[in-house]
Amino acid sequence: MPEFEPRIICFACNWCSYPGADLAGVSRIQYPPNARIIRTMCSARVSPVFVLRAFQQGADGVLVTGCHIGDCHYISGNERAEENIKRTAELLDLLGIGKERLRLEWVSAGEGGRFAEVMTSFVEQIKKLGKLKLKEI
Amino acid sequence: MKNRVLVIGGGIGGIQASLDLAEKGIPVCLLERSPSIGGRMAQLDKTFPTNDCSI
Amino acid sequence: MGMGIRKAIYIPFSQGTPNIYTIDKEHCPKLIKDKCGLCEKICPTGAINYQQKEQEVQLEVGAIVVAVGFDSFLPRSLTNLGFGRYKDVVTSLQYERLSSASGPTGGHLVRPSNGEEAKRIAFIHCVGSRDVKNREFCSSVCCMYATKEAVIAKSHNKEIDTTVFFMDMRSFGKEFDQYILRAKKDYGVRYIRSKVSSVSQSNTSDRLTLRYSTEEGPPEEEEFDLVVLAGGLHRQTGSSEIAELLGIELNRYGFCSTIPFDSVETGKAGIFVCGAFQEPKDIPETVTQSSAAAARVSALLRPPRCKPAEEGAYPPEIDITKQPPRIGVFVCRCGTNIGDFVNVPEVVEYARSLPYVVYAEENLYSCSQDAQERIKDKIQENKLNRVVVASCTPRTHQPLFQETLRQAGLNKYLFEMANIREQCSWVHMSQPEEATQKAKDLTRMAVARAQILQPLVEVPAEIIPKGLVIGGGLAGTTAALSLAEQGYKAYLVEKEAELGGNFRRLKFSLPLDDDPQKYLQSLIEKVESNDLVEVYTEAEIKEVAGFIGNFQTTVLHKGKEVKLDHGAIIVATGGVELKPPEYLYGKDERVVTGQEFEELLARDDGRIGESRAIAIILCVGSREKERPYCSRICCLHALKTALKLRRGYPDLQVFIIYKDIITYGFKEEYYRRAREEGVIFLRYDDDHKPSLLKEGDRLKLTHRVQALGGEEIVLYPDMIILNAAIIPRDNSSLAKMLKVPLTGDGFFLEAHMKLRPVEFATDGVFLCGLAHSPKSAEESITQAHAAASRAVSLLSQTTIEAPAVIAEVDEERCRACGKCVEVCEYSAPELVDVGEGRKAARINPLLCKGCGACPVLCPSSAITLRHFTSGQIISMIDAALKVAT
Repeated sequence: MPEFEPRIICFACNWCSYPGADLAGVSRIQYPPNARIIRTMCSARVSPVFVLRAFQQGADGVLVTGCHIGDCHYISGNERAEENIKRTAELLDLLGIGKERLRLEWVSAGEGGRFAEVMTSFVEQIKKLGKLKLKEI
Repeated sequence: MKNRVLVIGGGIGGIQASLDLAEKGIPVCLLERSPSIGGRMAQLDKTFPTNDCSI
Repeated sequence: MGMGIRKAIYIPFSQGTPNIYTIDKEHCPKLIKDKCGLCEKICPTGAINYQQKEQEVQLEVGAIVVAVGFDSFLPRSLTNLGFGRYKDVVTSLQYERLSSASGPTGGHLVRPSNGEEAKRIAFIHCVGSRDVKNREFCSSVCCMYATKEAVIAKSHNKEIDTTVFFMDMRSFGKEFDQYILRAKKDYGVRYIRSKVSSVSQSNTSDRLTLRYSTEEGPPEEEEFDLVVLAGGLHRQTGSSEIAELLGIELNRYGFCSTIPFDSVETGKAGIFVCGAFQEPKDIPETVTQSSAAAARVSALLRPPRCKPAEEGAYPPEIDITKQPPRIGVFVCRCGTNIGDFVNVPEVVEYARSLPYVVYAEENLYSCSQDAQERIKDKIQENKLNRVVVASCTPRTHQPLFQETLRQAGLNKYLFEMANIREQCSWVHMSQPEEATQKAKDLTRMAVARAQILQPLVEVPAEIIPKGLVIGGGLAGTTAALSLAEQGYKAYLVEKEAELGGNFRRLKFSLPLDDDPQKYLQSLIEKVESNDLVEVYTEAEIKEVAGFIGNFQTTVLHKGKEVKLDHGAIIVATGGVELKPPEYLYGKDERVVTGQEFEELLARDDGRIGESRAIAIILCVGSREKERPYCSRICCLHALKTALKLRRGYPDLQVFIIYKDIITYGFKEEYYRRAREEGVIFLRYDDDHKPSLLKEGDRLKLTHRVQALGGEEIVLYPDMIILNAAIIPRDNSSLAKMLKVPLTGDGFFLEAHMKLRPVEFATDGVFLCGLAHSPKSAEESITQAHAAASRAVSLLSQTTIEAPAVIAEVDEERCRACGKCVEVCEYSAPELVDVGEGRKAARINPLLCKGCGACPVLCPSSAITLRHFTSGQIISMIDAALKVAT
């Protein structure tokens, strides 16, 4: 049986994490190809609805990335994101999906290496958790 | 073209001066002796005190 | 830089612009002996031309800005440090390349001698700087960049041992001291105040032995794997030729001379200087000076205001609102960059099968000029109303493709990109199958979003060509005059009765023959005689409304309200000298601050003549726990006072009691002069501050001498000068009015510490002077010109286009809960009456930045973020997870 390849949705903010992901590419730092990146202007744009939708549609993990605290292009958007994601994680526990399938990480525009590391470790984490089997509602 | 300006040096200083002038509608000739602009700063890995990437 | 192997055709540095290949004419076989020629044959775009020759071009110009920079010092002459002899002794710039991910070792900190990991790294400061015999000046940036390099090593691998060998820690810039503190505490970088005498290698070990001496004891030795020499900033090669050509003067170090109080004026009309060619300096100071030089050129040439983009530059926009989507997909090979790892024809074929895609093709380079023509043709031929380009990151090329769409009559928001290079082919180079699958998925996601993209309109708003300057000290007055000299009306608001601020109290300067008050006099005369400056003294800001280009400010002027309309704001509220709570200040009148003593000295106060000894204490209230920053000018102020005293009162003994002497740039010279003229320097550290007590009638100053093993000496000075910290004014209410942030220390915080030093993240608001951070008069003047330059770049436009990616409220659904008002950092949403006694939120399109925080928190889903609507994002999520066939 082939190894389980998780399907991951990654949200990346336009000002730090998305360029961080670009820099990983420019520096040719290799990471597993499991994630599909969606660009938003700020990590604060990532609504719990998007996260739940992703799991409902078959994602095994959701990774949200934004600027480091203090570096947000919109002053405090990432603090907002931190709050939103914390509450979404609680919701995931409640739904039996498990909060460990959702991760929030800060990646700056200069941290191409870090983006790749985060991606690699998240893919490994989800591999360990196995395929998400949604409970019948 | 007496309203034009010559900027000598295409490092961060020359680039910033050129941008500031061009934004005001002043035509600029930017002169750089090496094949690309960016100067010393383009060689830096990160900058202090924010550890930003330099570009 | 001689660190790695480079081919004869190469990209100089991956972050240079343009990021393209160049031919090394000294090594290319085709150019030397007409052999090879391979690159011409294989270049897919025909970009190689061996016949390119140097040409002489004549330019007629109205002004010149000289920004030729510096050369980094190569420590070959310092044979004791082993550079050139040992491979593991590198310069700091070589180290930058070693630690850079795009450098020759891919960012691995290895020993150049054997490729093994470097476990112990030493950084030696002041290499080729502060050397009285040869290069006396301080290079200003080495202390900080060496610390940065040590921090990078530590964050790369915590196990690496990093030691910094320094003389004085010159952390004089904004937030620099905190950076050093973090390096010590969070990263564990070790600092040793010392002089390094030699770096050598013994016969038994391949490591390097570093010999150094500290104040306390006999010389010591330690072994390291890698030694980094923090080399200084030196005169640019060819600077004398340039100076001769332009007729400008150089100083004795080979840098460009400038006139007193003016760091960009070369003294020759029409020629200005900026950057490290004027004096060694850091990036933000260079950027500031460059803008200042631009302000001076702009005042000289006075260009007319820019006209709005002419109508008819683009064909009329096609109304697509009633059309079903017709999507065209262009998949880029990017030469080999994508094509070698992703099966591009397969992606194109797949794109054709997607809903609403009516056309798909591949391009060798989708960004090339001929590809733009093709895209335009295909839009017309196939009546496309949405375009997807699957290529590189939207962050660089999206504007280019959007321009192509506009030229084809499509709204630029009907465009979407799939990033199949940076986020696909380049990061999955060994997995072509997975990369191809991912490229298909990314294309499918882009197509899904494209289907529901809507055209958006950017509404232009007029810009009021006037500036408001808050604060009439040296910086504010200079900024207002600069605006006026560039042709723009300036309102200058000052709370005191007279202009000049702290600068009024500056009686002497270095060099001592410069007269600050004469300079101020002439500045104020210029302001008074310029009709474009309108001065309001004894006035304060009451309210600021509006937004970039359109501010309305209420000023309380001598008890009356005045309303001013303007397009830009410059904050120059200054700072104040701390009244120290220690060293008997306020309890004994023989203890005065630096600013107070300057006035005593200026009027030749009798107490000075009667004194036999005067002590100046530095860092009073600065670089301490409560105020962890350097006030930047106190050291120079102390030297100025000491030199003045030694010359005016030869029998008077002068002591300077300091932590680090921070005389950056050419100011180092005054440190030497003070020592030569008999000023006595005594160093203390944080754990052993000097103590000042009253003993009978006398002032008793006790100081612990490190060099004497901690022995105490006692002085009985007749006067004590406390060079106290420069502290910010209470800026909190103004910061709130302007929606701009403050630093932890209470100074205003600019948009970006390196690259946007004189503007705020809030559009249309700029800053300069002590309100930004402590700085010298000359630096304040430069910064004021820079702020005025940035403001004029805005004011010279007649209109500004309001961004279209903004949030909007469906007033029917809004329940006026105020959540959006609460969450917005820019006060864009406002609750307004919408009739029938009902309230709803409305978002000011000129204030909204489009971050998307409010739609997430809106409990009634009444807010939509244009161009990143929930529907659009969900369409991408759904498409991403749809199993591809």
